[in-house]
Amino acid sequence: MNERVAVVGYKQTKHTFDSPVARERMIYELVKSLFKDLGITRDDIDTFIFASNDFTDGRTISEVYTVPRIGSFMKDETKVEADGLNAALYAYMRILSGLYETALVIGFSMAGSEFRVPLTQAYTLDPVYERPRGIINFYSTAALQASAYMKKYKFTDEDLARLTVKNLQNANNNPYAARKEPTISVEDVLNSKPLYLPIRQAHVSAYADGACAVILSSKKAAKKFTDTPVWIDGVGHSMDTYYIGDRDLLGMEHLSAAAKKAYKMAGIKNPKKEIDFAELHTNFASEEPVFAEAMGLFKPGSGKDVVKNGDSGIGGALPVNPSGGPLGANPINATGLIRLAEASEQLRKEAGKNQVKGAKTAVVHAQDGPGAQLNTVFVVRR
Amino acid sequence: MPGNVVRARVPITFSYKNRVGHALEQYINGLKEKKILGVKCPACKKVYVPPRTVCGKCHKPIDQMVEIGQEGVLKNFTTAHVTIANGEITDVQQPYIIGLIKLPGASSLISGIIKTSSVPEVKTGMKVKAVWKETTQGDYNDLAYFEPA
Repeated sequence: MNERVAVVGYKQTKHTFDSPVARERMIYELVKSLFKDLGITRDDIDTFIFASNDFTDGRTISEVYTVPRIGSFMKDETKVEADGLNAALYAYMRILSGLYETALVIGFSMAGSEFRVPLTQAYTLDPVYERPRGIINFYSTAALQASAYMKKYKFTDEDLARLTVKNLQNANNNPYAARKEPTISVEDVLNSKPLYLPIRQAHVSAYADGACAVILSSKKAAKKFTDTPVWIDGVGHSMDTYYIGDRDLLGMEHLSAAAKKAYKMAGIKNPKKEIDFAELHTNFASEEPVFAEAMGLFKPGSGKDVVKNGDSGIGGALPVNPSGGPLGANPINATGLIRLAEASEQLRKEAGKNQVKGAKTAVVHAQDGPGAQLNTVFVVRR
Repeated sequence: MPGNVVRARVPITFSYKNRVGHALEQYINGLKEKKILGVKCPACKKVYVPPRTVCGKCHKPIDQMVEIGQEGVLKNFTTAHVTIANGEITDVQQPYIIGLIKLPGASSLISGIIKTSSVPEVKTGMKVKAVWKETTQGDYNDLAYFEPA
């Protein structure tokens, strides 16, 4: 049995809306360059876990074409049909079991250029009720959640626009982000194309082509890779019902449960004080205050004040998505795993212009399903 | 960087005929008779609409059908300026309202289209009632929309 698991290496592509290379090459070059950084080869990896999705890939058992690129030939390899942070959760458990000392986790998609994102999202909806009715989808669900939050807590369209600009400014300083809108203003966001109000085009995450690779290792094996491991000290995972009308879109009891479990494992009693920053998988800007509050990072309903005081900005009381988050790049399947890579980078003081000073403990989040039906939470420390 | 810009078109078409299951089947049959049906969990007494066969919380089978009221309260809504069909986001001429409605006797909120003479008239907390197609045929569209009660 292994007792502690660390992130010992990570790398992401520069995400784009139209990749100049095919997926196989993108993945190969990413993994090879990560191995080169660490001075290792595929022989140093015990198990490989791929995060991908048959619908986003457009083929079944979709990793058969991409696994040779990650170095798993004749080795232990499996695929997780969910966000990459779930693949990291599997890798974490495999290492804890003691059967493996090291794992490579990789997530990717070509969501920027190769398929219609709302179509693959539609395939996750209840096939015999929601899909034929055509009312509930990822966008309208986000709008209903945003609307509930905004009405209950007097969070205005302008507050939401400010939050969007905060993230896009962070994304602008993130070398990996696909979406670069350095001059976007609150006015621009307020005037962007209405989709399902209060959701407008500017609030939507940047579905992009891209990949992220993370190497996890046991404490014993970590020294081989790095002198600055980032420890995974808590994990939590929880899923709500698929039916929107039965969910508490505001309280998000399931996300709250996943976060509490991760905090308990990590010995965190007061997340507001003990967490230094958060990387959240938000598909829409409006999800940020809802998730952050469900995870106990801010007081319920405090979104308005958080925006006003800049509490969630870099340099604020508890920075949220200093990387810019998925508003800067959302290569589906990699997005939650990127949160782990970004948090690790921050904890190792490698985040450049977006560096959060003195950060030692972070919370990382990933979601799947409409309105974040499924949530995964990691607590990581340096 | 050399570009790999040649693209293969990779169409995929699937068509399935999924069984809706006995709970939804009764719901759909109910719509034909202009009734809204739910199921009541024998353990927690929660009434699910649309009906399903298992209460996730109690992990018990549920098969007690109950009829739900048709005049309720709008709890939440979004004004849609687009539709999403076949993965395409398309603008609509006239914005429309998607609401979550609390009907008497149901624990679940039911989603539906809200029609009023103008969009600004719609407010959370307003009373709405189900409007049926004149001729129902046993499908989801039989319950056409909700309007102010």
